[in-house]
Amino acid sequence: MAAENTATLARKGSSRPAQALNGKGVRSASRWAHLPLVLATLLLLFPFYWTVVMATNTNADYYATPPKVVPGTHLLENIGSVLTSINFFGSMANTAIVAVSVTVLVLFFDSLAAFAFAKYEFPGKKFLFGLMLAFFMVPAQLSTVPQFITMINLGWVGTLQALIVPAAANAFGIFWMRQYISTSIPDEILDAAVMDGCGFFRQYFLVVLPVIRPGLAFLGIYTFVQAWNDYVWPLIVLINPDMLTLQVALSQLNVSRGTDYAVVMAGAVLAIIPLVAVFLVFSKQFVADSVKGAVR
Amino acid sequence: MSSASLDRGFRRSRSRPPGQKPAVTGARRNPLRFWPQYMAVSPFFLLFAAFGLFPLVFSAWLAFHRWDGISPVTFAGFDQFRFLLADATFRKAVVNTIIIWIMATVPMLFMSLGLASMLNSVKRFKTFYQVVLFLPSVTSIVAVVIFFKAIFDNQVGVVNQVLEAVGLSGVQWLNGYWTIKIVLAVIMTWQWVGYNAIIYYAGLQAISGEVYEAAKIDGAGVLRTFWSITVPLLRPVIIFTVVVSTIGGMQTFAEPQVLFGSNASINPNSGGPGQAGLTMVLYFYQQAFNNNNYGYGAAIAYGVFAIVAVFTLINWRITARAEK
Amino acid sequence: MNLSRRNLLLGSGLAALGAGALSACSTSAGGSGGSGGGSSSGLALWYWNGGLSDKVVEASKTQFPKDDIKPNKVGGDFKQKLQTTLTGGSFIPQITGVKGEDMPFFRSVADKFTDLNEFGAKDIAATQLAWKWAEAQTSDGKQLGFPIDIGPTATFYRADILEQAGLTSDPTAVAAATTTWDDYYAFGQELHGKVPASFPVPSLATVFQIIVGQLSNRFVSKDNTFTGGSDEMKQAWDTTVKAQALGINANAGQNLGPALAAGTIAMDLGAAWHALDISDAAPETKGKWRIANNPVKPTNFGGSFLTIPSATKDKQAAFDVIKWILSTDNQGQAFTDATIFPADPAAWKLPALTGGDEFFGGQKTIDIFGPAGEKVPEQYVAASDSAVSAAFYNELTNVEANGKNPDQAWTDAVAAAKDIASRQGVK
Repeated sequence: MAAENTATLARKGSSRPAQALNGKGVRSASRWAHLPLVLATLLLLFPFYWTVVMATNTNADYYATPPKVVPGTHLLENIGSVLTSINFFGSMANTAIVAVSVTVLVLFFDSLAAFAFAKYEFPGKKFLFGLMLAFFMVPAQLSTVPQFITMINLGWVGTLQALIVPAAANAFGIFWMRQYISTSIPDEILDAAVMDGCGFFRQYFLVVLPVIRPGLAFLGIYTFVQAWNDYVWPLIVLINPDMLTLQVALSQLNVSRGTDYAVVMAGAVLAIIPLVAVFLVFSKQFVADSVKGAVR
Repeated sequence: MSSASLDRGFRRSRSRPPGQKPAVTGARRNPLRFWPQYMAVSPFFLLFAAFGLFPLVFSAWLAFHRWDGISPVTFAGFDQFRFLLADATFRKAVVNTIIIWIMATVPMLFMSLGLASMLNSVKRFKTFYQVVLFLPSVTSIVAVVIFFKAIFDNQVGVVNQVLEAVGLSGVQWLNGYWTIKIVLAVIMTWQWVGYNAIIYYAGLQAISGEVYEAAKIDGAGVLRTFWSITVPLLRPVIIFTVVVSTIGGMQTFAEPQVLFGSNASINPNSGGPGQAGLTMVLYFYQQAFNNNNYGYGAAIAYGVFAIVAVFTLINWRITARAEK
Repeated sequence: MNLSRRNLLLGSGLAALGAGALSACSTSAGGSGGSGGGSSSGLALWYWNGGLSDKVVEASKTQFPKDDIKPNKVGGDFKQKLQTTLTGGSFIPQITGVKGEDMPFFRSVADKFTDLNEFGAKDIAATQLAWKWAEAQTSDGKQLGFPIDIGPTATFYRADILEQAGLTSDPTAVAAATTTWDDYYAFGQELHGKVPASFPVPSLATVFQIIVGQLSNRFVSKDNTFTGGSDEMKQAWDTTVKAQALGINANAGQNLGPALAAGTIAMDLGAAWHALDISDAAPETKGKWRIANNPVKPTNFGGSFLTIPSATKDKQAAFDVIKWILSTDNQGQAFTDATIFPADPAAWKLPALTGGDEFFGGQKTIDIFGPAGEKVPEQYVAASDSAVSAAFYNELTNVEANGKNPDQAWTDAVAAAKDIASRQGVK
């Protein structure tokens, strides 16, 4: 434990990105290591392929024996059904507003709180941190009813701030960013900043924020995706048909009787396209490069 | 709170830049001196008070009452908790949740670790693999479940067709006590295995190559290197994933809810044949929202909360001590 | 930690996105705050996808231009949403649909709804189905809902598979051969014996649901006592699980769609709207299905209502809109648009219903469903009924999926049902 810490500290002090310098034993395994990875890729991608197959066939093909395994020709007609059944682009705009606002607020509030938890001692810190972790363990579904009552009292039912404000800071993000900040910001840098006369907030903006960007990128993607896919709460709190989010609008395609699965899947495909786009644009950022600061 | 043992950073975090007074002394003298820190953590706690604490307190109050969601609330004393202790279905839900959580979490984290090592040792296509590994965790749960329901269909599912093609007999996946749990575990594994692999991979990247070189010189084999170097060095990352998976697993809800027809007009949200897929949170949802029994739902909510807390703490203890 | 240009670009990009989002948020939030859910102006009408004919709803806007009707197709769990809204007291719609299975619950909180009799429902009720109107009546005679549709039950069967088994496929003859449950099972055994891949029972729940509908008391009686352990309930249970013992249960509760498409289910039992389930799941079987009277007597599954919450200001205007949307002609239109089976018997005589249905080989299905709708027995359904019944349905799945002993399952079901009943405040 102690030796490990020393080693970690030494690496951290060098402030160079820790590169994977593979040992020779590992390197010789390099070629065959592709085998399980390719297998995993196929298994993980198959459901996406199948979703596309379903979205391009008819509903009847869903029940066909044997099942259809190649894409069909009904994509446009299924997309047409999605667009005529629900206000797809309007709800997508609402979802984007919610997801982007939540992401920005979460990144700011969580990293600021995480900085305080990671690098400062203050009275009640342990208690507050424990309280936060306890809240992390409460299943979200359990507070649905009282939360709805709160929204009624605030007059927020049917509005987007009912989705944005409660989600603007979360325990997971603070937990995550604290881990990231405590290991990726050398105390020496903060000491230097203090020498220069920087207070808490200037340290945060001038020293911490630039360094933790990769960690923020990971948290940002995670939060964005959670907000984009959030389902149960928007379903309850959004009432005005012009103010739905995408997942709620899509759920209207999934009705109790006579669900057209081909149309549901076409909707799912349309809904995932923006996520994949965000993904590819930021892929270099949020994948491993950004995580490692928190865990090394 | 055992949070301190969760992270080495916490314990040795240097609390104050030099030149300032020691924190403890400062605290005794004037807590207001720490206003920037309190201000920094306040957004979460303000939101927590409004949208987290109130629901908790309200639920606690509700657990001592009967309420159908509309009519006036009537006092019920400890009735709801008495019901809870005697409720065989709740016990079934607890057992189901734990079994599904173990079936989903344990193999998944080992697979994640394996995939992460593979990813660490390859040179090409790293970014591609990472994107693929990440994609399932961002996919809408409703579409995922519709997919798995179709491939595990008792009659025409792809899984059974493959089994029959190789000469085995098909399995009634969505009927059996264990098979239902397997299907749920497969869904959860598919969605989260890559996510955890990426976190492990990031941890692996931070382990210096020199450590491995030294191990090789000492004559350690691949497996021995893995167990005596990789796993201990990854400990904080492993704790992180175990804790997050425990909290997530104990709250399993959407998978069985969508898998077994949340829209059914008779017996909705029952967790499938033999209630084999009935999890604690699904049972809460059914009692509160389908049966309009909000008081009992609140009692269940507290039962769930207690169990999740106990498991998370046990988890931290075990994982944190294992390598000491 | 090296700060690449990409890192900086990402940071500034996020910041720009954030600024845009926040301003977009504040404008949209302001807009919605003003027009809101229609609590101040206009006549909000809540229903669910497929609950009413969209065309009729659209036409009602031009029919009542002064009322400013704002239809809202509410997704997800409709009952939960309506319930939380009624509790909350704001954004309450002026008119709302209530599903048949949720009516017993909302009937138990009658003061949240308007007595439609005060606005002219009484005069209309005389020509309507008494049992259906009774579903939305409180014990003191308040009429809370105006019926949209009904779900009279019948036997659905594959004429081609019956013929293949050397059995009759004529609706009258099939009905005559299956007047009791024993007859139905004997008929089904013959079918399954000749065509082993096909079954006459889709799942035990399907049969149990209909038999319970034929009893004099369900799980909780009118004086709020538990009747789930009664002799007639035990008989209903025994009759149901007999299908399992005879080996004629397809056990397809989890894969109804594929089983319908594959011909595994040759005989099915269900309400009028079940035709849509079959035609969606198995369009290739078009023309091969027929409908006959189900054993013993018809029952009813589902069928919804339109109601006026008591918070509605202009109740007469709301009632006039309901009366128009659910007029005889518009109920016929709803059947044409969305296969919503009319609750008004006069609508059954419209051409939309009297024509032959190609999916059922040109059979005039109204000849079965019409008389069935007239003959549905009146039955009391308590607010706690579905919660209590869950114990029985759970144990039926244990019998069919896990081979549990039916008698043990009955004992366990009654015990569990009693527990649930006591939690629900049943004596």
